[in-house]
Amino acid sequence: MKSLRVVLLVFCATTVAFGSDREFRGVVHAIEHTYGVHHMHIPFLGVAMFFSRPEGVSGIHLAVFEGFEAPADTEDFSRIVQNSLGGGWYPFVRVLSQSDGETTLIYANPSGGKMRMLIVNLEPSEATVVELRLDESAIKSWLREPGENAESEGSHRHHFD
Amino acid sequence: MRNTMLWILLLSVPLVARAQDFKIPPDVEKLSAKAKETVEVTMDGPMLRWASKFLSAEDPEEEKCAKLVANLRGIYVRSFEFDKEGAYTAAEVEALRSQVRSPGWTRVVGVRSDRDGDNVDVFFKLENDKMAGIVIIAAEPKELTFVNIVGPLEVDQLADLGGEFGIPKLNHESLEKAQKGDHK
Repeated sequence: MKSLRVVLLVFCATTVAFGSDREFRGVVHAIEHTYGVHHMHIPFLGVAMFFSRPEGVSGIHLAVFEGFEAPADTEDFSRIVQNSLGGGWYPFVRVLSQSDGETTLIYANPSGGKMRMLIVNLEPSEATVVELRLDESAIKSWLREPGENAESEGSHRHHFD
Repeated sequence: MRNTMLWILLLSVPLVARAQDFKIPPDVEKLSAKAKETVEVTMDGPMLRWASKFLSAEDPEEEKCAKLVANLRGIYVRSFEFDKEGAYTAAEVEALRSQVRSPGWTRVVGVRSDRDGDNVDVFFKLENDKMAGIVIIAAEPKELTFVNIVGPLEVDQLADLGGEFGIPKLNHESLEKAQKGDHK
C-alpha cells in the first residue's frame, strides 16, 4: 500500500513538473519570451497538489512566475495567451479585482464530454498559469456559476503558494 | 425634403447596426474602473453548441436549458461589485438603458423595488418579427449586472436560463407580474 502511494505521488509530481501539454507549454514560453521572465521550480508541488486539488479536477499543470510585473494593459497579455493557445480554446471568464490588483483570465477547451481549462492569474508581482481537466460534475458547476467558480479558483490557488 | 429623408436614413443605418451588433457596450466596460471586482463571462456560439450537447437529456431541467442554448449565438455577462452604495450613478445606469432604446429594441420588463433598491430591466430585440436577442440590466445598491443574450429566445424562457451561465435568476412569477405592471 505504501509503495502504491509513493508511485502515485511520483506520478503526480512528474505530471506537474514535466507536463507535456503543448498548449500549456506554449503559453508558458510565450510569457517567458515576451516578458523576459522564467517560471520557477517548486519542490514537492506535485505532492501538495495531490492532496489539495479541487474536486472534479485532474491533469493539473502549473507554472509560477515570481517577480513578474503585471502589464498595465491586460488586453495585450490576453492576446498573447489567446494566440499561443490557438483554435479550440475560447475566452470564458475574466475577473478583475481593483482592491488587490489581480486579474484572472480563464480559457476553455471543450471537447465531447470533457473540458480543459487554462487559468492565468496576474498579481502585482507574480503570475500563475494553471491548466486542468474537469470531470462532468465540475463542468456543470462551471457552466452554472462561472463567476463564482472563477473567484473560488483564485482563492484555492493561493493554497498552493 | 427628399434629400433630408435620405440623409436621415443614411445616418440612422449605422446607429441601428451598431446597437444590434454589440456584445457589451463601451459604457458598460467603463464601469469596471469604479468597481471593486468585475466578472466577465463570455460564451460564444461554439461554446454554447458544445454546452447544449453536454447537458444531460436525462435531466428535464438540463434538457430544457440545452434546447434553449443550442440556437443562441452568444451569452455575454458583465457583473460589477462595488465597495459601497452610490458608487455608480443613476445616470450611468440610464446610459446603459439608452443603449437598448434604439430602434429594434423594446423594454418588456421593468421591476422596481423601493424596499431593497433592486431594479431589473429586460429588453428584447426583434428582427423580421422574430426574437433576436435579450438584454438584462440588474441594478442593486452595490452590484450591477449587464447580460446580453444574442439569438432567438422568448422572454418567458429567460426563467429557464436564469441561474445558468452567470445569468441572474428571474422566476416566472416575477416576470409575469412585472409584465402585468404589478411591481413598482
